[in-house]
Amino acid sequence: MTTASVAAEPVIRVSDLRKAYGATRAVDGVSFEVRRGEGFGLLGPNGAGKTTTVEILEGLRRQDSGEATVLGIDVARHPDALKARIGVALQTAALYPKLTVTEVIDLFRSFYGRGRATGELIGLLDLGEKSATQTRQLSGGQRQRLAVALSLVNDPELIFLDEPTTGMDPAARRSLWDLVLALKAEGRTIVLTTHYMEEAEVLCDRLAIMDHGRILESGTVTQLIDSRFHERAVRFERIAELDEKRMAAFPGVTSVRGEDRRVLLYTRDVPATIGAVLTAAEALGEEPQDLAVRRATLEDVFLDLTGRALRD
Amino acid sequence: MHALIQLTVANVRSFVRDRPTVFWTLAFPLIFVVLFGSIFSGGGAGERTIGWVDGDASSQSAQLRGAFARESNVELVDATEVDALARMRAGDLDAVIVVPAGYGAQVAATAGPRTAPASLVVYTDASQSAASGATFQIVGSVLGRVNLEIAGRGPAVVPEPRTIQTRDLNFISYIVPSILGMALMQLGVFSAVPLVADREKQILKRLNATPLRRWQLVGSNVLMRLLIAIAQAVIIIGVGSALFGVELAGNFALLGALVVLGALSFIALGYVIASFATTEESANGMTSVVQFPLMFLSGTFFPIDGMPDFLQTIARVLPLTYLSDALRQVMVDGTPFAPLWVCFAVLAGFLVVCFGIAARFFRWQ
Repeated sequence: MTTASVAAEPVIRVSDLRKAYGATRAVDGVSFEVRRGEGFGLLGPNGAGKTTTVEILEGLRRQDSGEATVLGIDVARHPDALKARIGVALQTAALYPKLTVTEVIDLFRSFYGRGRATGELIGLLDLGEKSATQTRQLSGGQRQRLAVALSLVNDPELIFLDEPTTGMDPAARRSLWDLVLALKAEGRTIVLTTHYMEEAEVLCDRLAIMDHGRILESGTVTQLIDSRFHERAVRFERIAELDEKRMAAFPGVTSVRGEDRRVLLYTRDVPATIGAVLTAAEALGEEPQDLAVRRATLEDVFLDLTGRALRD
Repeated sequence: MHALIQLTVANVRSFVRDRPTVFWTLAFPLIFVVLFGSIFSGGGAGERTIGWVDGDASSQSAQLRGAFARESNVELVDATEVDALARMRAGDLDAVIVVPAGYGAQVAATAGPRTAPASLVVYTDASQSAASGATFQIVGSVLGRVNLEIAGRGPAVVPEPRTIQTRDLNFISYIVPSILGMALMQLGVFSAVPLVADREKQILKRLNATPLRRWQLVGSNVLMRLLIAIAQAVIIIGVGSALFGVELAGNFALLGALVVLGALSFIALGYVIASFATTEESANGMTSVVQFPLMFLSGTFFPIDGMPDFLQTIARVLPLTYLSDALRQVMVDGTPFAPLWVCFAVLAGFLVVCFGIAARFFRWQ
């Protein structure tokens, strides 16, 4: 994944956005910027306020206070001007159950003055076999692909994808990720909400972690992880003669943990620890199998920020 | 405009592919027409058994009995009043005619200087509006002739044989506009259900994320329903006149205007329901709650005049009463319940009120 060129003017600029439903503060003072051509992710559990934030940016809801500018348009003032230029895939992708895939795409094309050909979109989303099928007969994954196809009918420069791979099997998820990466490579900006970390890591150049209506932290995946976790773990298959006490004394190692058949050495100095492991193994006439350096994941970051796992 | 047409096409497709809805909207009213038509206009079904109670036993009452007995489709059964009414309740008799004591004397007096006319008590079953209508027609035509004879002149007008058919058509002529009114009402009220379903499935929200305007969305919905309303009118009237010879008296422009106004009013009511229903199930429930009283208290199946007073009061405030009444006036020259302009005004007022409520409370997501 290459980082797209960054234009000066941000595509989205949000400052101190707030939206309450009764006593619930769904969005509670959110600020961020999204740059042209980047993949930006809002990561957080269900109910964190991701969808509300995105729906304000799509012109579907009006914020109580705060500024939101998308493609240079004030979304609260000119939602209609905005809608013609963005692509949207909502979380629930049920659409006219009795219409076929082709009919739904044709219908949505009629809402815009410009756009891509229906056949092209069907090919792009690999829906060819299903083009004459009524949408109620599509699988969850196919329905999501149709939702993404509909977000592209007006050839938008900015695309919002709300939980785009929910309900997809791993293969379908992979192929959708490839499509999103291809769209990004064309210079389009992608804003995505997700609670899958792997998805965020693959698709997003930058991320904001949300919980309870607030952004807890934002940055690139590496920044987010490195700012909290200075340690890495050296991992390899356990060597019987090498006991944990001895490994704990290796240079840089702060703690030792067993994990199934493997052992994890948390360390501040990866090269020195690996060197010590190799030397000790050689002395025993062994070779460490499956040796790898594991860094902390976004899951660890989220756990550290909120004290909860992401997918509870 | 392109989006409006495409969306209307999409709505029509969704409608046509939903077989149960098509059945309820188009076939169901038709079944009513065919059912009522077959029951009340079948050949020979006009045979009536009437209980004859002669409380006077005069030559005049015997003459009257003779006049009724000459009617080809009437069978008279002599009985006492108590006996006759009991047999009518049991369903053996269609009606009971009672000649009160003193009838002969009064008729004799009427032939001279003007006095109060003699009366004849006619019992019919109010719940069988068609049957009682037919009975009164027989009674009316017999008395007409008897009156002329009493007045000392020969019958000035001889009823043509065709009157028998007209009589049988009476109820079907009444019911066809009623069923059209009912169908338009259901079509409109039921628009709430798919609307709420679309909101629940976030289809409305997804449409709202496009440049589509809300008036286009509502417009396409209304346009689709108006097309169906016209189809309903054509089918119901077509079948009514093809199978049962219902003759259209009114003018088609007025009928068209009425169909459109009626459909619009009840579509607006559908939007009001959709404003307050949160799920498809609750929309379905509210729709039933609204449509059944409208169907049964608006003179759809029985004339309002025959209803108890308190029901008449209810009927007077139901918009369907005015739609069906106006349809009857325009289509078959029915007896007006309210002047036509009042019907139009009531429907238009109802439309405006419903539109206002829906505009205020309808939620898109």
